[in-house]
Amino acid sequence: MVALEREISELAAPAISADAIPLRLRRTGGTPRQVLAMTVVGTIVLALFASRDLASWTERLGDSPAVMATQGVAAEWDQRMAAMGLTRPHEALRDALRRLLDWQWGAQP
Amino acid sequence: MLFPTTHFLFFFLVVAGVVAALRHRFTAKKAVLVVASYYFYAQWDWRFCFLLGFSTALSYGAGLMIGASGDRARRKLVLGVAVGLHLALLGVFKYFDFFVLSANEMARSLGLAHELPFIEILLPVGISFFTFHGISYLTDVYRGDVELCRNPLDMALYMSFFPQLVAGPIVRAAYFLPQLARPSTEPIPITPALLLILGGLFKKVVIANYLATGLVDPVFAAPTSYGGPDLLLATYAYAVQIYCDFSAYSDMAIALAALLGFRFPANFNQPYRAQRLREFWQRWHISLSTWLRDYLYKPLGGNRHGRWKTYRNLMLTMLLGGLWHGAAWKFIAWGALHGGGLAVERMLEPWLGRRAQSPVAKVVATLLVFHFVCLAWIFFRAEDFAVARLFIAGLGSGWGEGLHQAGPFMLVLIAIGLAGQFTPDALFERIAAAFERTPAWGLGAAAGIVVAVINALGPEGVAPFIYFRF
Repeated sequence: MVALEREISELAAPAISADAIPLRLRRTGGTPRQVLAMTVVGTIVLALFASRDLASWTERLGDSPAVMATQGVAAEWDQRMAAMGLTRPHEALRDALRRLLDWQWGAQP
Repeated sequence: MLFPTTHFLFFFLVVAGVVAALRHRFTAKKAVLVVASYYFYAQWDWRFCFLLGFSTALSYGAGLMIGASGDRARRKLVLGVAVGLHLALLGVFKYFDFFVLSANEMARSLGLAHELPFIEILLPVGISFFTFHGISYLTDVYRGDVELCRNPLDMALYMSFFPQLVAGPIVRAAYFLPQLARPSTEPIPITPALLLILGGLFKKVVIANYLATGLVDPVFAAPTSYGGPDLLLATYAYAVQIYCDFSAYSDMAIALAALLGFRFPANFNQPYRAQRLREFWQRWHISLSTWLRDYLYKPLGGNRHGRWKTYRNLMLTMLLGGLWHGAAWKFIAWGALHGGGLAVERMLEPWLGRRAQSPVAKVVATLLVFHFVCLAWIFFRAEDFAVARLFIAGLGSGWGEGLHQAGPFMLVLIAIGLAGQFTPDALFERIAAAFERTPAWGLGAAAGIVVAVINALGPEGVAPFIYFRF
């Protein structure tokens, strides 16, 4: 009987229904404006260092006149970032990853 | 619209901007989030929005009727009809084709000429998740576990809130609706949310995507072309892939909700470190396993009517849990394996309890549970039952051939994925605490650089999340 009661209480206890972000980490933080500021800054950094992606994303949007104008702007932006050397880290990382993917047993990565 | 895309970044930028502009106007914020959520859902197919709207209206209306009636029989009738309608919707969209195909196969095997007409029905993304939201709300209202939701805006947001709309976690009404009653006074946990987003991006874009394209997909497509070592590593790779894929989505959903001022429950907790199958289910897709426990296992009688009925209830719960994942026999087999495993484990519990205390026994138990879960994953991932059988048969052969598909990089990804299961619990909190005092712009700049790195490391485009199809 004791064993059965233990079993029932074990099952009745929630596994982990606690908040995903523990209370300790929710005591400090920011405001919605700070969230917006963080998102804007993050987007600007991405526009600088991931301009390749911006251009390829606009190419997948379609071919309406407005989208085509956006594609032109994105392509020009990407070219400018490339001229400033900001796409070099992106290219270097992709090259490194290609080598890792081609890495075979018995060869150097 | 997937989370790790430029489209979603711009979408979230607009949502964050509007929410910040609204400041303390909580009702307006909720209305904006409902509109944003329907826009988000319409990106898959705008017609699905009507289904979501119907499901919301059904839950809201039936909830009011249950709340207004003092007659227990009438309350039960309303609950039964509403839950039945929810399940009928799910049945038509998710299981109709499966039952027609299965019935026709059975008819053919019995030599019957007549076949049922086959209609290919488009599966609305996320239907399993919002249906479960609706059912749990109505059941909780009936049981008196949650306060009746009288505000249609709150119900609309509960059912449609975009971070969890298409792949969970399944957030209970009792957990989420009180958060809609009044604005949160807590600060927004920006640093932990950012860490969850960045970790999720890495798990999805790098680990899950490359394991899928480099090892899992080719080996599962033609298992007879590979020897045992490749098959075994493809199984481990899938275990890591599905964890990284699904937990990544959950992490990002939790983080996005947090950035908008809402709390979500945990959905994963290093599942492959479990020493019992029961513990695995306390760590894997927690919101689904607790849902199944509270709305299926317990109403079936749970463990209250003796050993054999407990085993039966475990089996039934896991079989239906398998069917929830998809309309196919392979998912039923996956559920049956887990149900059977849980029943056997419970049967052996008195014996296991005495022997599982030493460190060696704990390691052995972890390895056993991991490999049992991997065996079940073979059925889950294989194209069909026949491929799963070929795959398992192949595991015992070709051990002298070496590795052909699993290169060193794939092994590194598997190792990283598995190592993540054994990091100390406090590691995440320590990292978050280290960046606690960094200003928002600094966090944004750092996050931008990390996202650019992950983006450069990832393949062109992002594959949909595995759980979108469930």
